[in-house]
Amino acid sequence: MPRAIWRGSLRLGRRRVPVKLYSAVEDRTVHFRLLHTTDLAPVEQRIVRKDTGKEVPKEDQRKALPLSRSHAVILQRDELQTLEPAASRDVDLCRFVARELLSDQWYDRPYYLGPDGNSDAYFSLVEALERTDLLGIARWVMRKKRYVGALFLHDGYLMMSTLRRADQVLSFSGIEPAKSAKPTTNELKLAEQLVSSIASDFDPTAWHNGYRKRVCALIEAKARGKKLEPVKPKRRAARGDLAENLRASIAAAREREVA
Amino acid sequence: MPRRARKTNGHDSERAAAAVRSFWSGTISFGLVSIPVDLYSATRPRQKSMKLVDRDGNPLGRRYECSKEGKRLANDDLVRGYETDSGKLIVITDEEFESMAPEESRDIELHSFVPFEQIPPIFYDRPYFLAPSGKSSKAYHLLSEAMQRSGRVAVGSFVMRGREYLVAIVSENGVLRAETLRYADEIRPPKSIGLPKRAKANSKSVNELRKEIKALRKDRLGVAELEDREADTLQALAREKERKGKDVIEQYGLEEEAPEGGAQVVDLMEVLRKSLSKRASVASAERALTDKSAARREAGSNGKRSGNGGRHARSRAARSEAKLKQASKSELEKLASDLHITGRSKMDKAALLNAILRAR
Repeated sequence: MPRAIWRGSLRLGRRRVPVKLYSAVEDRTVHFRLLHTTDLAPVEQRIVRKDTGKEVPKEDQRKALPLSRSHAVILQRDELQTLEPAASRDVDLCRFVARELLSDQWYDRPYYLGPDGNSDAYFSLVEALERTDLLGIARWVMRKKRYVGALFLHDGYLMMSTLRRADQVLSFSGIEPAKSAKPTTNELKLAEQLVSSIASDFDPTAWHNGYRKRVCALIEAKARGKKLEPVKPKRRAARGDLAENLRASIAAAREREVA
Repeated sequence: MPRRARKTNGHDSERAAAAVRSFWSGTISFGLVSIPVDLYSATRPRQKSMKLVDRDGNPLGRRYECSKEGKRLANDDLVRGYETDSGKLIVITDEEFESMAPEESRDIELHSFVPFEQIPPIFYDRPYFLAPSGKSSKAYHLLSEAMQRSGRVAVGSFVMRGREYLVAIVSENGVLRAETLRYADEIRPPKSIGLPKRAKANSKSVNELRKEIKALRKDRLGVAELEDREADTLQALAREKERKGKDVIEQYGLEEEAPEGGAQVVDLMEVLRKSLSKRASVASAERALTDKSAARREAGSNGKRSGNGGRHARSRAARSEAKLKQASKSELEKLASDLHITGRSKMDKAALLNAILRAR
């Protein structure tokens, strides 16, 4: 069973809810090592000077903050240490907002929160959040780093997702298609029909990482000294009239339904 | 999430501040309609990231070297190997990796349209933007508009850089976004981490918590709430040292290196203006953070326009147009950076001024 990675205390005004933090995701990526093609020796990363290519040992490496394109300032280790946030177990809930306010772009890594000790405060907060249907915005310090997160419910438990920062998220405005690119009413109607003809509920268990499976199969086959037949990827070409294609697609979707 | 080591020579930190990376080109298959698209990263690198230098301020980078020969290696010299439990190395060539990509490797195949609110945030992995890449953007607009009207998002899958991704295609403000999703088996169910069964909560304590939640409730979320505060303290420290003339490196990183490994750095605004709409503009996400229903309520009750009114109010109040015209180029550059104006590094003073006036 995975262990808690951190313990803290949610602070909402004068109330406190002690929690433990657990990673909610599991890395299932197949990991490879980079090798040198000719002798299959593992590849090593070295930190080098860009101009001379000479290796620079750890103790001679520094961090610099660029202030413009033409100059930067070196920040020494002891100086950076003074900026480290004070250690704390507090997770401060600064505000609660409607859930739709945060789009998918903000969410980074999700963590389950579990009760730490007495679970009464924990499940009280679960119920309170359920009834208000809001999203909490929290700040905390964990392992010398500051985090901003969103508190919400998942499967009846508290979940905290770390959030990306404001300077990382982009939004758009002023998108107006040129006249020639504006879909006609008829095309739009057909497109909407096509959307509703393949509409369904979100079912995550329906999707499997087929690629990962094939990679594992290939590794196994090669380990046993076998060869797998390579498959050539094909590329489809876009052609034909938009409305015609939409009509044909709707018909195909209906057929699948009947079958 | 740890990702598979990519074959780059690692100049990840050398990205232009307002630029994003182009990752993939392919086709969205919407029934029999094909929509050629390019995929761009939708998360910018942190704006004020630190660079690695030596004691004298010379920029440092990463190089791959063979552990046996100590020789510097180029991308072509690298191959990936899988280490089995018994320590045996299985080499997988690039051709073999490619051969495992399914037939639709150049396609984002749309499987179904689902209500967006049915996808729990735990599935969100990484956002990308999709820009039309074909001669006509009509089919792109069509899909975007049809999804916006239906309130649904498309779920599909595609292969990029040797991984098969499950993806939700979201239409927002006329732009299609591809949010990669985690697979169900990458998500731990609460039971697997031993969370206790739900117990009945004490109603008094529920009510007290509800009171606290309501007291903290707001209709909008300011960017300040989500801001990178440590970046500000770093900046302050650096400026202080600059004033004292301590540890300042002149001519740092003037020559930008082209990123390797296939990802191309582009100005997203330029891309969208060319491919989608002449008036497209890209900004930080502040606008997205207002509760639209609450804003409408407010607008209805007191007749005030709320929409864009609060955007960049701080900088607007601080600098009038007349003042701006007297500002030096470096002051304008600073302001353009605060406003996240893309392409600012290539602008001259007049263009900067215009862009700033437009952005406010």
